[in-house]
Amino acid sequence: MDQPAPPPLLALDGLGKRFGSLQALEGVTLDVQAGTVHCLLGENGAGKSTLCNLIFGVYAPSAGQMRFGERPWLPPSPAEALERGIAMVHQHFSLVPRMTVVENLMLGQARGVLNRSAFAARISDIADRFGFVLDPNAVVGELSVGERQRAEIVKCLMRDPKLLVLDEPTAVLPPGEIGALLDICRRVADSGRAVILVTHKLAEIAKVADSVAVLRTGRLVAQADMKTADMGALVHAMVGREVKPLDVALGDSNATEAAPPDRPGFALVCDGLSVQDRHGATRLDNFTLEVRPGEIVGLAGVEGNGQSELGMVLAGLLAPTEGRYFIGDTELTHAGAAAVTAAGGGIVPEDRHAVACVTAMSVAENMYLNKLDRFTRFGLLQRRALNEAASAQMKEFDVRAAGPEVAFSGLSGGNQQKAVLGRELTLDPLVALVAAQPTRGLDVSAVEAVYRQIRAAARRGVGVLLISSELDELIAVADRIAVLYRGRLVGERPAEMGERGAIGALMSGQVA
Amino acid sequence: MTTLVMTMPDRRRLMALSIPFAAVVGSMAVGLLLIAVSGKSVPDAIEAFLDGAFGTAFAFGASINRAVALALIGLGFILAARANLTNVGGEGQIAVGGIAATALALWAPVAGLPLGLAVIVPLLAGTLAGAVWGGIAGVMKVRFGTNEVISTLLLGFVALLMVYWCVQSTALLRQPQTSSSTLPESLPIPDATKLPGLTGDPESPLHIGLGICLLLALATAIVLQRSTFGLRLRAIGLNELAARRAGMPGSILLVVALGIAGAFGGLTGAIMLQGEQFYLKAGFSSGYGFDGLVVGLLSRGSTLGVLAGALFFGFLRSGGISMEIMAGVPSALTLVIQGLIVIAVAGSVILVEKLEGGQR
Repeated sequence: MDQPAPPPLLALDGLGKRFGSLQALEGVTLDVQAGTVHCLLGENGAGKSTLCNLIFGVYAPSAGQMRFGERPWLPPSPAEALERGIAMVHQHFSLVPRMTVVENLMLGQARGVLNRSAFAARISDIADRFGFVLDPNAVVGELSVGERQRAEIVKCLMRDPKLLVLDEPTAVLPPGEIGALLDICRRVADSGRAVILVTHKLAEIAKVADSVAVLRTGRLVAQADMKTADMGALVHAMVGREVKPLDVALGDSNATEAAPPDRPGFALVCDGLSVQDRHGATRLDNFTLEVRPGEIVGLAGVEGNGQSELGMVLAGLLAPTEGRYFIGDTELTHAGAAAVTAAGGGIVPEDRHAVACVTAMSVAENMYLNKLDRFTRFGLLQRRALNEAASAQMKEFDVRAAGPEVAFSGLSGGNQQKAVLGRELTLDPLVALVAAQPTRGLDVSAVEAVYRQIRAAARRGVGVLLISSELDELIAVADRIAVLYRGRLVGERPAEMGERGAIGALMSGQVA
Repeated sequence: MTTLVMTMPDRRRLMALSIPFAAVVGSMAVGLLLIAVSGKSVPDAIEAFLDGAFGTAFAFGASINRAVALALIGLGFILAARANLTNVGGEGQIAVGGIAATALALWAPVAGLPLGLAVIVPLLAGTLAGAVWGGIAGVMKVRFGTNEVISTLLLGFVALLMVYWCVQSTALLRQPQTSSSTLPESLPIPDATKLPGLTGDPESPLHIGLGICLLLALATAIVLQRSTFGLRLRAIGLNELAARRAGMPGSILLVVALGIAGAFGGLTGAIMLQGEQFYLKAGFSSGYGFDGLVVGLLSRGSTLGVLAGALFFGFLRSGGISMEIMAGVPSALTLVIQGLIVIAVAGSVILVEKLEGGQR
């Protein structure tokens, strides 16, 4: 402890990156020591991914220097970075689902004659060393998200890197697997390597980090040793203002809220919905659920247990194999997306980029994508009226962008989601809202805004089905929580903190 | 009209136009070099080219008529391209348009129709036939997932063979066989069904097809830039799932987009028949569908780009034929130059996109 600190493994000095007119990163000076877990904290759009991509050689910096070990570091490509000792696990995995773990790991590493058993032995060896279980002969497509992530980590560790970068590794994990991941991070660091862990979830870092750096709008706004760090100060640094932790904020609004108006009938009814995929596997199995007007029903479950299929059915994009689906009194089982909208079904799809918006089009076009007829006279689009309406709606839903005509892709994830939510919440009539993973990848303040809007809608008498894998958020927001496991509704519990364990057990398939 | 087409910021637009322009100039220079290498006189070739392209009222009119055909195909192409569809079936759509227009023009009651209907009915028949031909590819795409590049191309071959069939069989469109030397062609269409000329000059082959083409170019620009339909095509083209989620009738839009592209092709066939050729014969479409495809590709989705490209290739074709006849330059060389231009411009498009992409 008293010795002078050894030279850092990775040293960033005044690092900057500019994309056109956007200064994504500016003047970042940061040291990462070998044998430590270094947390990189920041809201969405703060520059965390850009920083990782600079270190990993995806982009070249526009200012500043990097040093790695003894030498200047400027890898021309990720392949080169990997070769020279830095490995990165991206948010999106690059594994071939139909191949086994061994086969996946041999891709790009094996030369000449394939020796499966030797590779399998190496995998088991690495898994043992870092204390986790991974069956080398399992088919990747059948693994859980956590297991796939471990396969990715092993893929990196096989190259024996000195530095391992993990980009938002916890975002995709169910609560139970986060702890295991953090343990792996700890062991990797203990083996003398350095780990950079990117996240925007505060609670995670306290457990594992040795030091922490906070990015905001491309600048490094705080750096601390974890032993002495003040969590409140870190939050403050991250968002630039005082924010109540999510559960407190939501708990407050929970308490002050009047009971939902007791209206007759149902806002949304799923009656025995089943979906089989093209291989004949049952993805959704006899799913029955009723949502009353003004009620928020949470649907919990680890991702991949039928939520996506349910979301597609409710959005009118997938016809169920069996069962019926109503919004209000309108049957929509085979009616299609336009009819869902007309019947008052607001949909916030889980995959924002693939389903909710056309990122290459403008903010205004996206906010009225389903209501273009309103701005059409004699077949021509009244752009001025469209942009004016969009400006007003952007204000109402706090969508921050340079204007209604900028490309949707230029918005941060939070602002994109607020725009989508605004589009769906302004349907007239609005009877039910189905929001799937609406806060995924959003920063704290955007999460707050999204849930504020959802609560407000419920107070107006809209029935809300909230599909999420974030149990804490469901407990804070929903009135009751149903649990989906392997396509089936396995139980329902009140949305109370005390039920957390019971719900978690249901999510993992243990019948309560 | 300029404001309609000027959607990109001016500076980027200038760059986007100047690079293909430089590519064209460069490849023409290479073409002249090739002529010199082949041992022909370069000044003679240039003179013959200019003569054939613009030299006489007839040459000029013929070049313009070629450009009209290329422009119409190109306009249809960029409309479908807005929905991310690639219509390579222009050739076949011209052919079915020509067949339909011939059939109607030769049907006795049509020639007697008043009020210009004798001209309009075959034109519409050709348009409709092309729309059906394009629409078939659209239905195949939304029903069976057949890639429209393949279906439009293969339907094109079917249509070309249908022309052969029609002009070989007297039961269809072949003229009555009076002797063994009767050519496999249709009868000439009646004068009443021919497109009226634009100028009083009987020497000039210019006809009202030019006016139709310019009107449709304006309409295309409006649809692409100003209409809700154009925006929906764009949405479908960029992200079909999101467009369907927003309640757009995805399948219908795709079929309609290919149908419109086909309609442009069919109309082109009718205009070629009623404006210049006057009877149907094998090889009637003579490559305009594919040249028009190139025009559409090189325009980068701009209506003005289509018109400019069509004019360029129209004159290039006329001049090339003249170079062959008058200066002895192989017409294949014009094709080589055309090929060079296509490669150069396509390359420059990638370059422009790379420059723009670098600012992401």
